[in-house]
Amino acid sequence: MEKKRIIGLFSGLVLGGSTLIVVLFLGIILWDIFSKGFPSLSWNFVSSFPTNGMTQGGILPAIIGTVLLTFITTLFSVPFGVACAIYLNEYARPNTLTNVIRASIRNLAGVPSIIYGLFGLALFVQALNFGTSILSAGLTLGLLSLPYIITTTEEALKRIPNSLREAALALGVTQFETIKDVVLPKALPGILTGVILTLSRAAGETAPILFTGVAFFINGISASPNQEFMALPYHLYMLSTQHNEIEQVRPLAYATASVLILLVFLLNIIAFYVRFKNRTQD
Amino acid sequence: MRFFLLLLLISFFGCSSDNGTIKIKGSDTEVNLAVLLAEQYYFENSGLLVSVSGGGSGLGIASLLNGNADIANSSRSIKYSELELFENRKIEIDSFVFAQDAIAFVVSEKSSLDSISTETISKILTGEFQNWSSLTGLNMPITIYGRQSNSGTYDYVKEILKINFSPHAMQMNGNAQIIEALKVDASGFGYVSAGYVLDGNSKGLKILPVYHGGSTAISPLDVEAIASGEYFFQRPLFQYYRKVDYQKIKPFLEFEQSKTGAKIIQQSGYYPVDLR
Amino acid sequence: MNTVKREQIDSLLKFAFKGAGLLTITLLGGIFFMLFANSILFFLNVPPLDFFTGSQWDPENHYSIFPLLVSTFWVALGSMLIAVPLGIFSAAYLSEMAPKKLQIVLKPIIEMLAAIPSVAIGFLGIVLVGPGLAQIFGIQNGLNALNGSILLAVMALPTIVTISEDAINAVPKSHREASLALGANKWETLFKVTIPAAFPGLIAAVMLGLGRALGETMTVLMATGNSAAIPKGFLDSVRTITATIAIEMGEVPYQTTHYYSLFAIAAILFLITLAVNFTGEFFANRLRKFHS
Repeated sequence: MEKKRIIGLFSGLVLGGSTLIVVLFLGIILWDIFSKGFPSLSWNFVSSFPTNGMTQGGILPAIIGTVLLTFITTLFSVPFGVACAIYLNEYARPNTLTNVIRASIRNLAGVPSIIYGLFGLALFVQALNFGTSILSAGLTLGLLSLPYIITTTEEALKRIPNSLREAALALGVTQFETIKDVVLPKALPGILTGVILTLSRAAGETAPILFTGVAFFINGISASPNQEFMALPYHLYMLSTQHNEIEQVRPLAYATASVLILLVFLLNIIAFYVRFKNRTQD
Repeated sequence: MRFFLLLLLISFFGCSSDNGTIKIKGSDTEVNLAVLLAEQYYFENSGLLVSVSGGGSGLGIASLLNGNADIANSSRSIKYSELELFENRKIEIDSFVFAQDAIAFVVSEKSSLDSISTETISKILTGEFQNWSSLTGLNMPITIYGRQSNSGTYDYVKEILKINFSPHAMQMNGNAQIIEALKVDASGFGYVSAGYVLDGNSKGLKILPVYHGGSTAISPLDVEAIASGEYFFQRPLFQYYRKVDYQKIKPFLEFEQSKTGAKIIQQSGYYPVDLR
Repeated sequence: MNTVKREQIDSLLKFAFKGAGLLTITLLGGIFFMLFANSILFFLNVPPLDFFTGSQWDPENHYSIFPLLVSTFWVALGSMLIAVPLGIFSAAYLSEMAPKKLQIVLKPIIEMLAAIPSVAIGFLGIVLVGPGLAQIFGIQNGLNALNGSILLAVMALPTIVTISEDAINAVPKSHREASLALGANKWETLFKVTIPAAFPGLIAAVMLGLGRALGETMTVLMATGNSAAIPKGFLDSVRTITATIAIEMGEVPYQTTHYYSLFAIAAILFLITLAVNFTGEFFANRLRKFHS
């Protein structure tokens, strides 16, 4: 009996300890970045241009770049992703082909992001001749986001009971009107949660934009879509590996990392809030 | 949704004009200098946007070839094979030397090494010497900190010494990472642009004077020796561009040659061309 | 609006949705096409035998994926050695032991871990894990395979924990009750009944975590030192397929052998992650059936 108790105690320690380690990982990451990043954070940091060879000043162009980039990603991936999900769930007949398509889309979500970068380079930069630009990069991230948006939207649509659709159709309403007035409003919070989480991923991605348009430095702001751009995640990569005065810019790198993580967390919190509100309403 | 689309149209295509940007890409050695120049240029002439990226000389020249750059910074002259590619695509290019650079060979300040011959450098970089014992007497393996194959510095060192790098050489992302590593690695041996080890940046490091054959050892920080072209590892920094783009980039090239430009070049640890 | 007009709108929009859906699917299908078309162009120049059996990745002279493949698997293997036990134990703790209140706190924490951008994790590899490893092992530089493995483990953990937890939760209560009724205690039930019953789900968890580790770019690019020699141990520097693409894609002139070679290694990586993800998917489906 004594032996069993010891085994029990030991197992409990291993399981609890493992969980503690996982939690500690997050704790260490956040503590290290925030404790070293916050001292350099200021209004000036987020609202001014880098100066003196990027050793001083702020990260305004990188913030604007990331926002514009995510905006293009949204404009491309949300309408197409939602439309594709609606087609798959509402119009397409459930046959083998649809199932194959669905499985392919799910697996595309697991394709390494750098491969999307290659595709973006071949398609947008070269074939469509957009050059290295914020448009090419935004569309590339849009492609990366599509599988996630399609899958989460479909899941949200699936949760709407068929009885609702049938009831609407029985009233003589057309299928599109059913989708527009009955299905979509009900599924909206679910879709929104998926979209926001996907965009928070896209905003933090670096690999797909590496060769589709991101730049070290740009000396002004322009909203033109064929412009190269600065982005927060790439700025962090550049400050921590490419800059020539690496020690001098470490505090800036930490502060950039803090801003990036805060931005991503903010998006996640919004998504959780939407999901939470939706749950409590049901 | 319609509102968003409208917003997109207004914000993007309303002010879209490609002529307003110069894309500069290439050499890691030159990137910080290019950033400083672009920054200052904006203050004096804010009409023209300049975007700057590093990544290596090969990247710059490839981008120029691929049409993704207007100016390719290169710390080496263009290779014959690259020139052929430009010819195949019927692209005429021209070059412009805007500064001189020297490569510094660097070890930790704890090392007892005081100067080094080009021959020894070759032997270390090829992996023939794997231990410091024959050089300093300390029994410690040599860790080589070099650049990635897309770096002009990598190519330059490889070509001028006519060697192949040891496959165990660390391929660092940039000059800065090499310096960072050497500061804490007493067994390290690395090469960087002299511009990176000026003033405060060389703390904890020793910059080795280099001799070739029977010559005296010369430090890469010796301004006069560089001006007279005596240092073994010195090279011009090029900017390549397409001939058709000349009018577009002319204002920026002129800015680089101006007094302000030369001052920035000098302050960054490079040597302006007219010194010679 | 009259009925005819409404029906016209309906069929028009049906057409539009179908169009958008098919366009999206075509675009995504284009990824397959692009990878394999460019790979074929590569294999016209370089014999496949050299590509798979050589030992050197030295563009323009030797194109052998072998060292890159070994590096990729080496780092991923290391990350799984760390993440699998930690992930499964945490999942067991979460679903079997943790009080409800603690669960509510722990789940978002694990989701937060998944939300941290890979470049930030890579940054920590340079400033925190690298120097730490250098000190612990008395080596001069912490940019090596182990560093990459630790970071990838952190990134794969949320996937592994979440899916494992689902798998353990999916084991019917009756299994556990039967075991307890036979006199087994809580631990024996967990290790001898619940975990074995959840096994397919756990494999799915590991596979999907592995898929993430194999395909990650920025973290390994920043933290592993990127030397292209075949690694001999975890303290050697490695260069994965993803890092090679990231480093070299910018520098290649388009439509040259070197350019095609990067698509070829990407295609191999694509096939590997696809196989890993399909395996995961297969087991996850079995879990779903089991559940319902």
